[in-house]
Amino acid sequence: MERLADLVLLLVLLTSFLILGTTRLTTCIRAVAVQGGLLGVLPLVLEPQWSAHTLGLATGTILVKAIVLPWFLTWAIREAAVRREVEPRLGYIASLILGVVAVAVASAVATRLPVPGTHPVLLLATSLSCVIMGLLVLATRAKALIQVVGYLMLENGIYVFGLTSVDRVPFLVEIGVLLDVFVGVFIMGIVVFHINREFDSLDSARLTELKD
Amino acid sequence: MTLYFVGLAALVAAGLSALLLRHRPALADRSYGLLAGAGCVLAALPAVRVLAGGPAVEGQLGSWAFGIDLLSSAFLLVVLIPGLASALYGARTPSAARMLFVIELAALALVVTARGVIPFLIAWEVMAVLAYFLVTFEHERAEVRRAGLVYLVATHTGTLALLAMFASWAGPSGSLGFDALAARAGTLPGGGAVVLCLALFGFGLKAGLVPLHFWLPDAHATAPSHVSALMSGVVIKMGIYGLFRVVSLLGVPPAWWGWLVLALGAVSAVLGVLWALAQHDLKRLLAYHSVENIGIILMGLGAGVLGISYRVPLVAILGFAGAVLHTLNHALFKSLLFLGAGATYHATGTRDLDRLGGLARRMPLTWITFLIASVAIVGLPPLNGFVSEWVVYRALVGGVTSAGPIRLSLVAVAALALVGGLALACFAKVCGIVFLGAPRSAEAAQGHEADAGMLAPMFGLAAACVLIGLAPALAVGPALAVGGSVARVAVDTAGSGIPEAVTRIGLLSLMLGALLALGSLAWGVLRRRRPTKQAETWGCGYALPTARMQYTASSFAAPLLAAYGPLSGVHETRSRTAFHSHAREIVLEGAILPVWAAVRGALWRLRPIQHGRLWVYLLYLIAVLLLLLLYLAGLVGGAPR
Amino acid sequence: MTAGPLLSLGAVLVLAPALPGVATKTKSLLTGRRGAPVLQLYWDLVRLLRKGAVYSTTTSWMFRLAPVAGAVTPLLAAILLPLDGRGAVLQFSGDFVAFAALLALGRFTLILAALDTGSSFEGMGASRDAAFASLVEPALFLCFVVLMLATGRLSLSGMLGAAPAPSLAMVAVSLFFVLLAEASRVPVDDPATHLELTMIHEVAVLDHSGPDLALLLYGAALRMALFAALPVSVLVSRAEWVAPLALAVLVAGMVLVAVAVGIIESSMARLRLSRVPQFLVAASVLASLGVILQLLT
Repeated sequence: MERLADLVLLLVLLTSFLILGTTRLTTCIRAVAVQGGLLGVLPLVLEPQWSAHTLGLATGTILVKAIVLPWFLTWAIREAAVRREVEPRLGYIASLILGVVAVAVASAVATRLPVPGTHPVLLLATSLSCVIMGLLVLATRAKALIQVVGYLMLENGIYVFGLTSVDRVPFLVEIGVLLDVFVGVFIMGIVVFHINREFDSLDSARLTELKD
Repeated sequence: MTLYFVGLAALVAAGLSALLLRHRPALADRSYGLLAGAGCVLAALPAVRVLAGGPAVEGQLGSWAFGIDLLSSAFLLVVLIPGLASALYGARTPSAARMLFVIELAALALVVTARGVIPFLIAWEVMAVLAYFLVTFEHERAEVRRAGLVYLVATHTGTLALLAMFASWAGPSGSLGFDALAARAGTLPGGGAVVLCLALFGFGLKAGLVPLHFWLPDAHATAPSHVSALMSGVVIKMGIYGLFRVVSLLGVPPAWWGWLVLALGAVSAVLGVLWALAQHDLKRLLAYHSVENIGIILMGLGAGVLGISYRVPLVAILGFAGAVLHTLNHALFKSLLFLGAGATYHATGTRDLDRLGGLARRMPLTWITFLIASVAIVGLPPLNGFVSEWVVYRALVGGVTSAGPIRLSLVAVAALALVGGLALACFAKVCGIVFLGAPRSAEAAQGHEADAGMLAPMFGLAAACVLIGLAPALAVGPALAVGGSVARVAVDTAGSGIPEAVTRIGLLSLMLGALLALGSLAWGVLRRRRPTKQAETWGCGYALPTARMQYTASSFAAPLLAAYGPLSGVHETRSRTAFHSHAREIVLEGAILPVWAAVRGALWRLRPIQHGRLWVYLLYLIAVLLLLLLYLAGLVGGAPR
Repeated sequence: MTAGPLLSLGAVLVLAPALPGVATKTKSLLTGRRGAPVLQLYWDLVRLLRKGAVYSTTTSWMFRLAPVAGAVTPLLAAILLPLDGRGAVLQFSGDFVAFAALLALGRFTLILAALDTGSSFEGMGASRDAAFASLVEPALFLCFVVLMLATGRLSLSGMLGAAPAPSLAMVAVSLFFVLLAEASRVPVDDPATHLELTMIHEVAVLDHSGPDLALLLYGAALRMALFAALPVSVLVSRAEWVAPLALAVLVAGMVLVAVAVGIIESSMARLRLSRVPQFLVAASVLASLGVILQLLT
């Protein structure tokens, strides 16, 4: 089980790197869908005995993160007719290298964080890495839809961190996280469409034209 | 020790003879060559004796103490071997220049053997100032004057830092001998943090550590070739010697400084070779490569310091040994490269890579020595660059079996690998564009072979590179001993696999050389048995191919530099009909010159104070005098009576 | 030197030209063709050895030295690999540096020979070759770093054959990417293109003909074999096995790797040239993730 959990966490990290390094939007969305699926499997793999609670958590996560949200994003792409890839502010190679630095920093911090309970070291490292890499994507990409993907990655990182206390605080963690995600994506979806209709472009750099 | 002083005296005599006999050039050249050769050999003998296992020697010159221990003898060889080659190469220059050159050599030798702060700093200053005069030899050109000025400012800033370092180390009433400094080392606050940082700054300015390297490219590119060879091969190594000496006197430097040196070394190495790739001036490119190799040497030094701090003696010995060995090797092949570049400049009159080409046919002997030096500097077997890079790699991975932070030094291996790949690309570009293919301009087409006076020292240096490559045990053994003396541990390599590795590397190099020779022979025989034809290179059916259609240096480097973006410093200007790319020196033009311009601008506001009217100056005097009187009387701030 | 390592070396030297054939055959079968026989390269080598050569008037002795170096350097690199699963013919502490440096020497002479012809096509190929090779070196060395951290041994004979772990899986994938780059396969380079402007390695050897080309093709096949042997040795520890079984498993693994290369070649196109550095950095990223994983445990 320990090995399986490590494997799943490793795959989560790899999907994060895929999001950082790929140029195509559809690949990004597929990667975040796969990440959502992995995150759904994660609580099942971490707990040796499966209670109804963990099963519910797993199915709920897979449903929302791996199916609904990616479908919603794909629909948004089709509606907005996004075609061109835009070179981000920070080049792809620099993003990949910064991603490695993020994982290194996260690992160094993870070994020192005083989190109660026993769980694989990789869990904390993965969660912090996803948070940092999600912030990286949010800050450096130009297209609003990729920024939504970055935000989802950030939420995934927080969710993984929440898995360290899943047995202590039953429903609060999951609902809070999922609600966050829903609210975030809905707001961004609305904003995305408003941007698209008002300025005929999804380039969020043009948001600065909103100031007086 | 007397032998050493006699040798230095003979060197100075060589310069004097060239000066006094300048009306009889043949006699002057011969006496210069003989006396310089004799001087270098005599001065090097004590060093060789110490490296072969003899005891360290001490001596006095007046009230100043000098000595040759293991570290000094290694660096003495670094000074004298390329120094002699450059001196012989530059035997046609005016006698005043030759005089300055040999005095510079003597000063360099004194720097590495000084045993007290005063002789060290005096020799250091003499070396720096003489280097300025040697660099600005062609002072009629504005770019040479500017390069000399930047160099002068940089070296004196470094000397200031060194003064501060020695002052803070010796303390208010301390004695200034190196032994006294070593004794005081244990009592320095913070493990010697102030001393170490000042040393890194001051010696780093001399060595060319990024970002303190900004004076290097201009100075080395505009100096005459044998002076560039001396600067790149020897003078910047004095910074390395200084760092070595500080480490050996300090004893156990703190670990954070080791990580700092390792990181700065890695950054210097990568940026140095990247910027070298962007150059299209042959000597500027070689100058940036010196920055890269200084980075590699500092990585070895950093690894050694980490070995001391984390108490892994093998890593300490290997790190210092790698740094020293790479210093010697770099002095050898970088001098050779500069001498070769000088030969091509002498033959064609241009340093621009995009106007050269096809020189292999016109200067075959220069091409062979240049190729040997290029293969050596990239670190490929069977030559000496591979040996010293192996030692540095072995030092970086030596911490793998110990627990603790020293395991992280393995990550530096990736930086070293990247540097190796980029250096390969850079020197493939240089050799290919300058010597191979067809000449790209009329000047290159009329290149002629260098004369014997220039070729002889080049072949000597090339032979040294090949020797160390094929028989690495000759050089690695003494290097390990030097490393042990700096780290103050006994050299015990039993069970580490290092002696076997060194012999097997020699075996591998010999096998490589033999297989290449046999293979070429066999394939030559096979080719002769097949029908062969000569034809023009396939040009894909173009009607009028010219030599200018060949790949240029900038085109060769473009895919590589594209991945690094603005970090490479390449600035392009395009119009509908023209394209021009230029590599700027990022630190100088991006940081230092703008700061200097801002400071000048701010100071210009104070210009009205100095307007030249005498009576206003007298008013200034009266005002200040009044203020002082009032201050003394206690009416304006200050103390009452 | 016992017979075991020498026999394995001999076997790999003999079987190396079959690997490109396996890759091409796989690709042909997957795209609905019968394709050339697997042993086609052997026939090509024999044919080329019998032919004469045409030399350009611009070239010098460097052009004639490069094919010899291109075959000798992978040969010497092969004696450093533990092909029989236990020990190499020649091993010493830090021999992975010599492994990479020998292959770099072969590449150096090849680039110089390309520039020797004075043609802009070869210059272009040489420049791209050098650019991508510089990005492959860090990935290769980072893989070695992971192996050294995992086993604590500093020689190739000790590093290859560690206990399985997730970091080793990353190393194997990274080494596979390195293979694709060094053997000039899709997605780094397309060996089947006939447009000079899209070639990388193929155009660097465009001017060589006859026996020289035979040496170069053999050298390239041998490099592919060496880089295929690396991931197999990383994933499967053969130290305990009997010599013939270990050799058979190595050969089978190398064939599987060649099949994987063929599958990739038939399913994706070559990357845009500006995206190839990204791909190579991804190989380094995988290896560095392996390093971090290894340092964490």
